[in-house]
Parts: sequence; C-alpha cells; structure tokens
Amino acid sequence: MIRFALAGLLLSFVLLTAPPAVSREREHLQVYITAPYLELRSGPGRGYPIFHVAERDESVEVLFRRTDWFKVRTERGVEGWAAQRDMLRTVLADGTAFKFDIGDRAGFTSHHFEMGIFAGEYSGSTLVSTYASYSLNSQLAAELSVGQFLGKYTNGVVGDLGLTHVLVPEWRLSPFLMLGTGLVHVSPKATLVLPSERTDQTAYVGGGVRYYLTRRFFLRGEYKSHIVFTKRNANEEVDEWKLGFAFFF
Amino acid sequence: METGIRVLLLTAVLMTLPGCASVRNWFHHRSEVRQQKAEAKEEAAQQDAQAAAADADATPPRVVDPEVERRKIKVPHIRSSNIEIGINDGFISIEDFGTNNAYGLTAAYHITEDFFFQGEYGRAYAGRTSFETLGGNIQLLTSAERQFTYYDISLGYNFLPGETFIGRGHALTTAFYFLGGIGATKFAGDDRFTVNFGGGYRVLPSDWLAIHLQVQDRVFRTDLLGVSKLTNNMEASLGATVFF
Repeated sequence: MIRFALAGLLLSFVLLTAPPAVSREREHLQVYITAPYLELRSGPGRGYPIFHVAERDESVEVLFRRTDWFKVRTERGVEGWAAQRDMLRTVLADGTAFKFDIGDRAGFTSHHFEMGIFAGEYSGSTLVSTYASYSLNSQLAAELSVGQFLGKYTNGVVGDLGLTHVLVPEWRLSPFLMLGTGLVHVSPKATLVLPSERTDQTAYVGGGVRYYLTRRFFLRGEYKSHIVFTKRNANEEVDEWKLGFAFFF
Repeated sequence: METGIRVLLLTAVLMTLPGCASVRNWFHHRSEVRQQKAEAKEEAAQQDAQAAAADADATPPRVVDPEVERRKIKVPHIRSSNIEIGINDGFISIEDFGTNNAYGLTAAYHITEDFFFQGEYGRAYAGRTSFETLGGNIQLLTSAERQFTYYDISLGYNFLPGETFIGRGHALTTAFYFLGGIGATKFAGDDRFTVNFGGGYRVLPSDWLAIHLQVQDRVFRTDLLGVSKLTNNMEASLGATVFF
C-alpha cells in the first residue's frame, strides 16, 4: 500500500514539477507560407486528421518539433502540427528558405549522434548491448557501448570506449574500423571452479558494416576482438559479434 | 649609251609601279581604318547616350545617400521534443510464483512518427508457489532471491493513430503501439536473457504529457524447478511519461 502511495506521490511530483515546456513563453521562429496552403493536423503523424489550413503568405510561429513534425501557431492563434515536407516550402522573413535537419541519406553520411541496440554473442554467451556515438567528423566518431552477456557458466557486463573510423561514409553499405579500450566484469555461476567475480581491463580492435535503411535508420553489424588483461599469467582473447538497429540524429 | 640609260630608267619605272599600286592600297587601307574608327566612336557615343538615358530613367539623382544596414534575421533554435521519460506501476504474473505488483521506469526516444526506441527497468517481488503454499513450511527461495528485476531495450511501432473525445470540446491524440525487444531478468539469484514483446495504448492529454496502458510478455528460459523450460511472465501496467 505504501508503495502505491509512494508511486502516486512520485507521479504527482513529476507531473507538477515537470516543465510544461510547450506553454513556456519564448521567442519563436516566424516563417511564411509560399505554397498555396499549409495543412495543420491534430497530432504529429499522417494518421491524424487535418483540422485547419493556413493560406499562402500567412505566417506561422514554429513552437517546437517532434520527429518529422512541427507544432506551429498561425496568426489567428490556431495551433497544429505541420509536416516536415510542407515546412520545407516556407521561407523566413528575409525571403530565404527555412532550413532544418531532415533525416535522410545525407544525414546518414554526416551527422552528430548515433544510438542503437544490438543482440549478439560475447565469448559464446548471449549479448544484449547498446551504444551511443558522437561524430567528430563524417568519418571519425567517439563511441561508448555497454552490454550484458548471459551465458551458461558466466554472466557479466562489458563497457567499451573507443574510436570508430568509417571508411567511405557516402556509401549506403559502408564499412568501418574500431579501436578502443574497456572494462569487463565477469561473475561466474556458483558451480564453477573459479567462483570469484572479477573486473579486468580490455583493449579491442574490430570492424563492421552499416547499411542505411530509410529515414534515420540503419542496420549495423560488427565484430570486436578483445584482449582481456587478466591478473593471471596469460591474457585472454574474447570474440564479440553483434547485429542491431541504430539511428542518427 | 642612250639605249643603256633608257633601259635603266624604264626598269626603274617598272620597279616603282607595283610600289605605286601598294601606295594606292595603303591609302585605301588608311581610309578603311579611319572609317572603322569613326564607326566605333559613333557606337560608343550611342551606347553612352543609351546608358545615360537608362540611368536617368532608373535612379533619380540622390539628395541624401541612405546608409541602411540590412536587417539580419536571427533564427531562434527550434526545440526538439522527442524524449519521453516516465514511471509505471502495474502487475506481473511471474510463472509459478503468482501475480505480483511491479513498478518501473521508462525512457523512450521517438525517431520518426512511426518508430521509437524504449528502455525499461522494473522490479517486482515474487510470491509463493502453489507447492510452497500447500507444503506448509517449505521455502524454495530466500527473500532476496524473490526479488524480480528486469530491464529491456525495445523497438516500438506506432499504429492506429487517432483521437479520443472527452465531451464536446476536447480531443486527445492517441496511438496504439507494438513493442518488441531484448533484455535480462534477474530472478532467483541468476540473470537470464529475456525477450519481451507486447503492445500499448498512449493518450496525450497535452503535448508534454502521456498516459500509457501497456501489456507485455517477458519470456526467459529457467531451470529453477528442476527442468529447463521457457517461462512467460505477463505484465500489465499503467504509466505516465513526460516529453522533453
């Protein structure tokens, strides 16, 4: 019961303190419609109905953006959602085109951030993994990935930090190389001879391919060869294979 | 002697004749050049006159030379609101261990109007099996081992977008969505690879707030009760999320 009450309290706290970001008064960009009209929908998606139309030469204020939709306010104060492809046909007050980031093939070649999820294999165990990367330029990116592997005899967590070099970023199927370092925490299951948990540093080298699907999505498959610097006499070598979905923004 | 001088003079005259012809040509050439020059001059004068006329038409003579700087438009940053963070509370039916309260945190990133990634972390406390209940004092698991924690990373697909109406004046945007993903479950002292799939219904009372009703199955393999088997753990939860 206390848990319910706590959850309720937390919920109301979140709801009350969360910034009602949309209603906050701020300076909004004003754009002018050059197409014959601009359709406004009730929600950010093609499935929501069109409930209002703004005419050519009218201006709209761009409030904020969700995925490929812009929430706009017309001169008469009507608020609705306009599609990205329609907003491309609006201009700024000085007559120049309204430009913004559209998730397309050009974005795949050159972007700031990437995130993705993977399923794969780490030293024979099932691996669940996620990664995020920041592009330093269109070819080089700093990348952080974390994962958990779940095996018959051992479970564990891996974390890697490294650099990724995309060889030819403009190709739809583009290969890349990776180099970096990380940590691995292994917890063997109790029945094993070496039941002690351990954390070791690793270094890896690897490669893979990414394949642009559509919009902001791409497939990514990669292989990493890790060297685990153990406290024993010999270092371990571990193979990691994984395949997953990723997106850029 | 005379004949010799005559021949010499005639030769001289003959030699000069083509020269005279060239002189005539030279004069002719000079006149041509002169004519071209005159034509060019005339053309230039005409062009000048035209340009002057055009100038006179286009810009009247300025009295004051205005120094107006073109207004530079500062494009304000357009805020993106694609991240959704929230909490949920509900029930999970842990196979063989009864139905129990489950609560958790969710975070989602909306990539397109159709697709989103969602991460979830949740906890529940497993109850007693029928065997334990009927057997009296038997305890299969310790209290710590009964802690059921799970996480998953899923890909969601919005389908059936629509509106729900409250009274006459209010329409809330809604959507049904499918979810499928992978993750891990920690239960009975072991972590297990878990596949989750299900669906949900999202209602947005405002642009920044969403209420979710979500049903998911969490499937993992366990040999806790002697034989290795796939267990289905159905979860139903009600959640609230905030868009950032």
